[in-house]
Amino acid sequence: MDFNLEVLKGGGWKCCFSAMASPCEVIFDSTDQELVNKLSHDLVTETKRIETKFSRYLPNSVVTQINQAAGEPINIDDETSKLLQFANQCFELSNGLFDITSGVLRKVWHFDGGDRIPSNKDIEKLMALIGWSKAQLYGDNLCLPKGMEIDLGGIGKEYAVDRVVQLLRQGQSGPALVNFGGDLATTSSRHNGKHWSVGIDLKGLGENVTRVIEFSQGAITTSGDANRYLLKDGIRYSHILNPKTGWPVQNAARSITVAAPTCIEAGIVSTIAMLQGKAAEEFLKTSGFQHWIFR
Amino acid sequence: MQLDNNSFAAALSIAACSLLSGNAQAQTPEVTEPGWQFESAVMYYGETDRVQALEGIFSAKKSFEDQKLLNLKLTVDTLTGASANGAIAQSEVQTFTRPSGNGYYQISSGETPLDDTFRDTRVQFNGQWTQPLSRLYTVSGGIHLSNEYDYLSLGVNASIARDFNNRNTTLSTGFSLSNDTITPEGGIPLALADMPNYSQGKFEQDGWGSEATNAQYLATRSRDSDDKTTIDFLFGITQVINKNLITQLNYSYSQVDGYMTDPFKVTSIVDSEGITRRNIYESRPDSRQKNSVFAQAKYSLGESVVDISYRYLWDDWQVKSNTIDFRYWLPFDYGGYIEPHVRYYEQEAADFYKPLQLESDQIPEFVSSDYRIGDMTATTLGVKYGHPNNDGTEWAVRAEWYHQTSNDVGVALPGLLTADDVYSDVDAVILQFSYKF
Amino acid sequence: MKVKPLIFIFVLISTLSGCSSLGVQPWERGTLAKQEMSLNASPLDSSLDDHIYFSKEASSGGKGFAGGGCGCN
Repeated sequence: MDFNLEVLKGGGWKCCFSAMASPCEVIFDSTDQELVNKLSHDLVTETKRIETKFSRYLPNSVVTQINQAAGEPINIDDETSKLLQFANQCFELSNGLFDITSGVLRKVWHFDGGDRIPSNKDIEKLMALIGWSKAQLYGDNLCLPKGMEIDLGGIGKEYAVDRVVQLLRQGQSGPALVNFGGDLATTSSRHNGKHWSVGIDLKGLGENVTRVIEFSQGAITTSGDANRYLLKDGIRYSHILNPKTGWPVQNAARSITVAAPTCIEAGIVSTIAMLQGKAAEEFLKTSGFQHWIFR
Repeated sequence: MQLDNNSFAAALSIAACSLLSGNAQAQTPEVTEPGWQFESAVMYYGETDRVQALEGIFSAKKSFEDQKLLNLKLTVDTLTGASANGAIAQSEVQTFTRPSGNGYYQISSGETPLDDTFRDTRVQFNGQWTQPLSRLYTVSGGIHLSNEYDYLSLGVNASIARDFNNRNTTLSTGFSLSNDTITPEGGIPLALADMPNYSQGKFEQDGWGSEATNAQYLATRSRDSDDKTTIDFLFGITQVINKNLITQLNYSYSQVDGYMTDPFKVTSIVDSEGITRRNIYESRPDSRQKNSVFAQAKYSLGESVVDISYRYLWDDWQVKSNTIDFRYWLPFDYGGYIEPHVRYYEQEAADFYKPLQLESDQIPEFVSSDYRIGDMTATTLGVKYGHPNNDGTEWAVRAEWYHQTSNDVGVALPGLLTADDVYSDVDAVILQFSYKF
Repeated sequence: MKVKPLIFIFVLISTLSGCSSLGVQPWERGTLAKQEMSLNASPLDSSLDDHIYFSKEASSGGKGFAGGGCGCN
């Protein structure tokens, strides 16, 4: 299995591997090397399983099968059904802002820092293929209109983090911190009342400033439009696309960090907050989730 | 349907719970902003036979919402011991009037004249506020106040920085303005005036406090206090080169106007035999324009970090200096680290620096024998050790050795004077203990 | 003594800065974000050192403001 175990300064182990296009690490507050090794093996296996199953790039994945069904109803397994149910809830809770069918917009929007802006006509054509409400999900049966595609990129990594946390708890790992490319969750508080210190990278006045927050339990995710954008005629187009208009969200925050009981909740809240554009602060404030917003 | 937000959170929680098969044991997130972060340090600085200083710093930092940062710093230091007064060594015992006029001190033959009057306690306060202004801009403003028995410094600063290029490049610019007032005990000496009757034993004859000595002393005084204003401009660029390398380049310009003479320093007027005839109070120009270019690179070699910096400084007093600083940060497995440090400094003298003034020559408008603006080379060698504690606090100790060599500026030495009488070295140790909590 | 600027250091820095693909992606900042990689990693040490060198040498500032400060020189 493809992972690295490193002993940490001050005790503990770190398991590092690469999955879902992100650096992944799990920090164990434990000195039991045998247990850490076994759990690392299990968690990497589980992460790769989720990646293989839900990646839209892999030809045999469930997502690819759904996307190639060409309007025919197909049978889905229980796990996929639960994930789609969850995506459905998020679609409703966000009034359609969070939509797993919006990925087709990537065919016309290329966020490479360049200045290629698609025409209204191109976008209009694609808009017909967007809208989760057009999908029919009944238990283990899904029917997606022809030409439509789903993309679980917005929840897959967070889901994997929560699954790994569950797996570690079941395996009696003791306190551990799971970090998949900035999506974090803990199994429990650390020993001796210590905190997990998490740095949010901030910069100012020529210094590399990392804002450290102390984190004892729960999950934290960060959504951002970091550096994927388009620049045309002095207008910066965020890569956060509004599925209702097909256009980038205006005044999207630079990054939004949210704390929640589970990683998947934190991820959804930070994503929906990004989609709110200018109204992100208001949304976050009233949502009641602890958050850090960076514009 | 617009859900109100409590039900939003509740509905989301139910959805997540059913996705994660109910056995999620979801925990309420517990995230705390770190409270105040404190850092303190005590430093001892001691020169062999000369000045000793003890300095303590207490710094408190607090981050607030939206990346606002407050940093408060209190510094207290106390200085005792002797410092070179600028006069040269002689084969006879030399007597000098104390700067205050209250008494005198004597220097044995062959010794570099040191004034042991210095005893001062200084208290300094700094406050700095930094916050983002908009998405890519950060601003910062601060004040400083430093007060000691005979010196008061007040200052403000402000800067702005903007990120470019995915925040890999940061341009910053800022200014600082400060006003320093010196009120030496006994007043400010007249530039180039003779230090009263240092060699003729007159003080003893007339007795201290007599009208004659008082009058003589007062004749060398011009005013109670004076001040200077410093304005600095700084332009900087910070560039991230790659995952392991960050660099910085600064240009700064500094304009100082006002009283920059050191009221405690004198220059020896020497005859053709090399014998000091009298000492005069030094005199420096009342304006100085300094420029400096500073470059720094920090490179991570995996675990360890190399920090190298260089500064070139030049000014209209014709001072030029090179400073090279090198640090190597080397961590240990348990979280401690050791950091060796080497610094090399060389400076070319100000154009009015003269270790002595020949009696036969005309005294120029500006003259100073203060070795600190003379030709000099200085080396610092040090090492720091840092240790993390289990409760998240950290302590560190640092020991450094600082050596200054005054170089011969090529002034002809009359009579029996040797370079040793005129130029001397300074050795100092720096010991520091720091604690972060 | 003649003090000349050490031009080669600037040449080095500008050569580095001349690289075609400068900079990193946000997720590559792990190393740079470490405390020991901060340009001023030990601010208290720096301020103590600045005070010493300010009072013992004819140069000050460069990294930050030279400023006024104390009558220690």
